[in-house]
Amino acid sequence: ALVMLFSPLPRLRSLLQRCWGQLEHGLLLSFSRGPSPPWGPALAVQAPALLPEPVSVTTESNEVPSLFDSILWMAAPKKRRTIEVNRCRRRNPSKLIKVKRNIDVCPECGNLKQKHVLCGYCYAKVKAETRLIRIEIGKKEGGPFNAPTVETVVLYDGEKPTEKEEGKRIIERARKRPSWFAQD
Amino acid sequence: MRLSVAAAISHGRVYRHLGLGPRSRLDLLRNLVTALVRHERIEVPWARADEMRGYAERLIDYAKLGDTNERAMRMANFWLTEKDLIHKLFKVLAVRFQPHPGSYTRMLHIPNRDDIDRAKMAVIELKGNPFPPLIVPRRDTEKTLLNQLLKGYREDAQRLAVP
Repeated sequence: ALVMLFSPLPRLRSLLQRCWGQLEHGLLLSFSRGPSPPWGPALAVQAPALLPEPVSVTTESNEVPSLFDSILWMAAPKKRRTIEVNRCRRRNPSKLIKVKRNIDVCPECGNLKQKHVLCGYCYAKVKAETRLIRIEIGKKEGGPFNAPTVETVVLYDGEKPTEKEEGKRIIERARKRPSWFAQD
Repeated sequence: MRLSVAAAISHGRVYRHLGLGPRSRLDLLRNLVTALVRHERIEVPWARADEMRGYAERLIDYAKLGDTNERAMRMANFWLTEKDLIHKLFKVLAVRFQPHPGSYTRMLHIPNRDDIDRAKMAVIELKGNPFPPLIVPRRDTEKTLLNQLLKGYREDAQRLAVP
């Protein structure tokens, strides 16, 4: 068979031509000896360039290997945790509930309170009174968005406004003044 | 060499992330400031009260500059959503806090909310409000040991000083 080689270098071309000449010369000599040449292809088969892998391999590689052959894959405890080890973990100080040492007795009402927090009972008392005062304010103002442009003062039963409460709006509360709300 | 991202570290950052975003946080705080100026004592979650306190005090500082000041009026207009409170701010609160140099609010811790969330609550109030006081300052009675000893000392000093 004739093979056309287009090499960029003319020297390489001439070298290849000489080599090819020598090969042909050797081929002619061998042909004169025997019928079959020593390096011809034994069997020529028409097949695509890339042979496909067997089907079973591709399907296997996409899926997760089944539990049947993955003994090394899943984590599992090796030994039973003894009760001593369990106790150490469960009773470790970081897991126990902390004891609160900041609880005191409120001097006013005697209920318990945390040191940095207001007493719940006293606060509820003040909150109830503020709510009643706010109802009175609401009755005085009438509608929404009627905030006054003067200060407010709260007076209880039988109290008269002093000269300090000159230009202020008076809110009347129909009860005796409580001991914890001193008149300033 | 820096091994951690600057955005993930929050050392020294002062502003809390409240609400849905920065604008939502400002709206939340604005509502709280309006409520405080209207009612003068409100019960809110502690974190919100803490954030709101600075804004409320700065608003009162702006109000102290006066009614005619353009910047003060614009600030009050933004921060108070109910416009009748602008009058209250300039005429009542600015006058009330004129002698005070700062710290116009008082924030106190309340027992946790009774709801399922047991949130940390605080009550924030403007000083000088007409409502009953939350903390009654108690003076020690005369019958305590220390007071009796001091009283005896004072009487001895007077007896010696007279002749």
